Amino acid sequence: MSLGRFILKRALQGVFVIWGVVTVVFLLRFVTPGDPITFIAPLDASPALRQRIAAELGLNKPLYVQYFDYLAELVRGDMGYSYISGTEASARIFARLPATVELAVVATLVAVALSIPLGVVSATRRHEPADYAATTFSLAGISTPNFWLGIMLVLVLSVQFDLFPTSRRALGFVDALGYLAQGNPNGLIVWAKYITLPAITLGTYFTALITRLTRSGMLDELGKSYVRATRAKGLPESLVRYKHALRNTLIPVITVLGLQLGSLIGGAVITEAVFAWPGLGTLVINSINARDWPLIQGCLIVIGTSFVVVNIAVDALYAYVNPRVVYD
Amino acid sequence: MADDRQSRISRRRYLSLVGSAAAAASVAGCAGGDEIQTPSGDGNGGGNGSGNGGEFAVTITQGQLDSGLDPHDHRETTTDIVLMQAYEGTLDRDAEGKVVPSLAEEYEQVDDTTLRLFVRDGVKFHSGDELTPEDVAFSINRIVNNDVGGLASPQKDQLAGVTEATVVDGERAVDVVSDGVNPVLVSLLASYGDVMQKSWVEGRQKNQINSEVNGTGPFKLERYTEDEEVVYTKFEEYWRDPAAVDRVTLNAAAESSTRVNQLVSGETDIVVNVPPQEVGRINNQGNARVEAVPSTRIIYNAMRYDVEPFSSREFRRAMNYAIDLETIVKEVLSDFADATSQPTLEGFVGYNPDTDIYPYDPDEAERLVEESGHAGASIELHTPVGRYLKDLEIAQAVVGYINELPNVDATVNQRDFGTLAGELTTGSIEDKPHFYLIGWGNETFDASQTLIPLLTSEGVLTSWSNEEFDDLVAQSNAETDENAREQLLRQANQVAHDEAPWIFLNRQYSVYGASGRIEWTPRRDESIKAYSISPK
Amino acid sequence: MVSPRTVRNLKRELGRSALAKVGIALVVAVLLVAVLAPVLAPHHPLKQNLGESQLPPLGFSAVTNETTSEMVNGSIEVVQRERQVDASLSHPLGTDSLGRDMLSRIIYGARTSLLVGLLGTTLAVLIGVTVGLTAGYYGGKVDDGLMRVSDVMLAFPSLVLAIALIGLLGGASLRIPDPIVAAGVEPGMPPNIVLPGTVIVVVALVNWVWFARVARGEALSVRSEEYVKAARALGASDASIILRHVLPNSLTPILVLATIQIAAIILLESSLAYLGFSGANLSWGFDIAQGRQYLSTSWWIASLPGLAIVLAVVGINLVGDWLRDALDPGIEGEGGV
Repeated sequence: MSLGRFILKRALQGVFVIWGVVTVVFLLRFVTPGDPITFIAPLDASPALRQRIAAELGLNKPLYVQYFDYLAELVRGDMGYSYISGTEASARIFARLPATVELAVVATLVAVALSIPLGVVSATRRHEPADYAATTFSLAGISTPNFWLGIMLVLVLSVQFDLFPTSRRALGFVDALGYLAQGNPNGLIVWAKYITLPAITLGTYFTALITRLTRSGMLDELGKSYVRATRAKGLPESLVRYKHALRNTLIPVITVLGLQLGSLIGGAVITEAVFAWPGLGTLVINSINARDWPLIQGCLIVIGTSFVVVNIAVDALYAYVNPRVVYD
Repeated sequence: MADDRQSRISRRRYLSLVGSAAAAASVAGCAGGDEIQTPSGDGNGGGNGSGNGGEFAVTITQGQLDSGLDPHDHRETTTDIVLMQAYEGTLDRDAEGKVVPSLAEEYEQVDDTTLRLFVRDGVKFHSGDELTPEDVAFSINRIVNNDVGGLASPQKDQLAGVTEATVVDGERAVDVVSDGVNPVLVSLLASYGDVMQKSWVEGRQKNQINSEVNGTGPFKLERYTEDEEVVYTKFEEYWRDPAAVDRVTLNAAAESSTRVNQLVSGETDIVVNVPPQEVGRINNQGNARVEAVPSTRIIYNAMRYDVEPFSSREFRRAMNYAIDLETIVKEVLSDFADATSQPTLEGFVGYNPDTDIYPYDPDEAERLVEESGHAGASIELHTPVGRYLKDLEIAQAVVGYINELPNVDATVNQRDFGTLAGELTTGSIEDKPHFYLIGWGNETFDASQTLIPLLTSEGVLTSWSNEEFDDLVAQSNAETDENAREQLLRQANQVAHDEAPWIFLNRQYSVYGASGRIEWTPRRDESIKAYSISPK
Repeated sequence: MVSPRTVRNLKRELGRSALAKVGIALVVAVLLVAVLAPVLAPHHPLKQNLGESQLPPLGFSAVTNETTSEMVNGSIEVVQRERQVDASLSHPLGTDSLGRDMLSRIIYGARTSLLVGLLGTTLAVLIGVTVGLTAGYYGGKVDDGLMRVSDVMLAFPSLVLAIALIGLLGGASLRIPDPIVAAGVEPGMPPNIVLPGTVIVVVALVNWVWFARVARGEALSVRSEEYVKAARALGASDASIILRHVLPNSLTPILVLATIQIAAIILLESSLAYLGFSGANLSWGFDIAQGRQYLSTSWWIASLPGLAIVLAVVGINLVGDWLRDALDPGIEGEGGV
């Protein structure tokens, strides 16, 4: 099977997955206690008023009609209107998306940039102080609840030493670049100050995880016969390590990264809650609390889609790194 | 964590941050300053942040922002505070809660069911058009009548009893007609019933009404960024003197510590709901102060009269004796609250000054539990989290005290507010938890708006039914003589105290942080009017 | 099931690795603390004393700006006093905002974490292994269908799904009598162990996919083995082949994955409790959430329960590493949080 067909097949599966997400969320909505009307109508509203509001929002139609209406609108790119504020759900979601993407990308980039060298050093200097330090860090990193880490960072670096803001996002990266283009670099500095603690909070788990994977992968590879053989052929040690061993190590690392996107987003949800970061995570929690279903659905669809897209990309990358992979 | 709507810093604030990036974490300076769309590219960073051309700009930070800008399509204080800068009602209240004229210059009771409002002359909408009696009648009808103005307003019951409003022929007046004697109507109109322009509403879609503003108030909308900020500028043609404030920005931060950070770093001028443990941080800062005022909100634990053990009057009274309310108010709420003895708050029409707070008397509580025949009962207190000041801690403290009785076992059940509210609002008592903590705000300063919905047999939110109480409230509702009516309401409050359908807890205080550069006094009805702010 | 060779490998690895010993020690310690909570806790974990709130841990003292309000001529004045608060011997780790003993709360919190971790994982293993073995053994349409379901599950972040499911299922919890208290040893302690039923079910529902994937892989690989074919030819039923041949082969990787998942589920439970969705009021995550409000005045309320989580999860992860190194199950990566 060619790469093109492979990607096509995965894309079709992806559409199925997203349809599954939509359906699951839609069903959840009808079995979840806590009527959205509760939030729109006052506490002491009469049943008649509640019915009026339900009719206005189309909540009185049969379930399957609402379902197909929703699917039909979704295909046209319409996610409906927020129950609470009456504004377009998609506009709300896409307004929040950049904050979450920034946070996730910065956390991932930092994690990858730190963890792979750390893992390699740890493996090549096994049982040396550097290895112990890296091992201890990565063990602590995968064992620390990230919300607690965030709170402790705030306690020490913000409350005690006043080095970073305790929360919020001052401006977006794009805005910061805009100011840079006008010759004002301060925007980027402010942006960096605000994103530092949330990114550390979110990225620590992944840094630790990839460090562990890289280390154990490298140890495996370095012990394999082909590595011994290439060494015996007299190739420089660095070439052996980085060209051959690391390349093979990265294959499982990439797979895990793709599968961990869900936990990256889960981590972003709670990180955003800790830092009042105005992203999708806080939006989804608020929407769940308010039973604002169009927003909940929209957020989960966006999250599900990004998961599917990233995993297709990961599979393609996987095939690229490891040409022996059979597309199946 | 509930209600975690985020705020984003305004562009204007951002600019002053950029201007002093090195100290971004502890930016000082005031929140004044004009908006600059582009910072200067001269390397100075477009420094800004101090007053610009003498403009007086003020920022108000709440826990959350509005849920859309239609003044008739919401029921939250947060949205109300956003809209009260721009929309006005026919009557208003002064800071003490006294009814004062607003868009209606005067009112008179024409007969038992009709109140006539005389509409002020020379009032302009932000659109530039003159206010007419038709606009007033339309606005009231839009609230009370589902067929007017394309809206089933959730505020219908805030104008309880009103059936319609009609323009009086040949006079600049509107008759507000009720379905019977309506002794609280003036009080209701002073708190509710924002006036909109009829032609403006009719010419707009729902989402436009929710994102544009056209009122008669002292500020007109400059910019609306949903979830982020609402910016108003002074309306120069306001019918009273123009405001001292040139520009008002309203934004939100869900976490109280975030709001306090914003205040002490000079990013905002007024923050709401400062928890007691953060008060010291504001006071120590020097450039900000704490302002507190008793609110119109009561926090209570309802006990359902139709289920054991709460069906027993002795048991319900025992619960009131079991808790040390004074200590809860002092230690949990740091005295930023008052203990209550009855459903109605002090200062309200119908408050009974002779009713005493239940004393802390665990022995009496234990005895009453034995007497009730429910010794050994297990009870579970349902509480929302983060909805009211220290709600979860109050619930835990109440349960802690009840557990100290040897013959009752109590636990806390933290509930998502949505689910809990859903159970409370079905209109059927069977759906409600047996024992729950909830708060109720009543901005009318009249007992009836608490007693009727929360405690009469027919009340939408009731967990109780008592004939004597129902009779007293019904009589007060039909009574046109103010003194007689007040006496009836006082008696009803005494009955509620004695029968103890609730554990009476605290009257919540509104605690604000205010920057040193503004002159402002908080109000009991939780409203924040930028019109009343002036530079210090 | 456990071959002598396995035991030998475990022992050899344990002898080699100091970290494995540390891990076992931590896990045993946490288990003991959880089981013996009524004996070890100096106070009832829910017993409040409003007059002794926010006491610092031993060795620390705190200066608090005590603010109260007083009504003066109808307006409220904020009164501020500085007060030195010293630690108390009877509360070695201090007290929380209601004057409850932090040490006792942390000890009892271990129970919540371990119960959710162990029972949640057990349930996830049962669901995941059943689905995975069925999919892998039968292959074809069944496999496709079940794997697509698991794809959909993976596309939901588990935390978000858990929050939504808890909303759906409500916050039910079971109470079972604490045997130690029932035996009359510590009569002043809470008489019941609170089992957060909803949370256990929910963490299982969002984590079974990982087990399904591992079990499926194992089933796929043994399906075509000669001995399985032989058993089938001899007329053995599918169920008995799965139980007798396929399942035993997948036990090792599942055991290793389960260990890691216990750690992940403990972290998930604390996240849910932190966000206020678990309904627990005696849990490490809950205390962190409560303490967060007091960060600027009483750092210990949020810090210490977090430290307890880290220690417990480090221990479990070390045991997981030990099992993996000793048993070499050949699974890559780790289950997600």
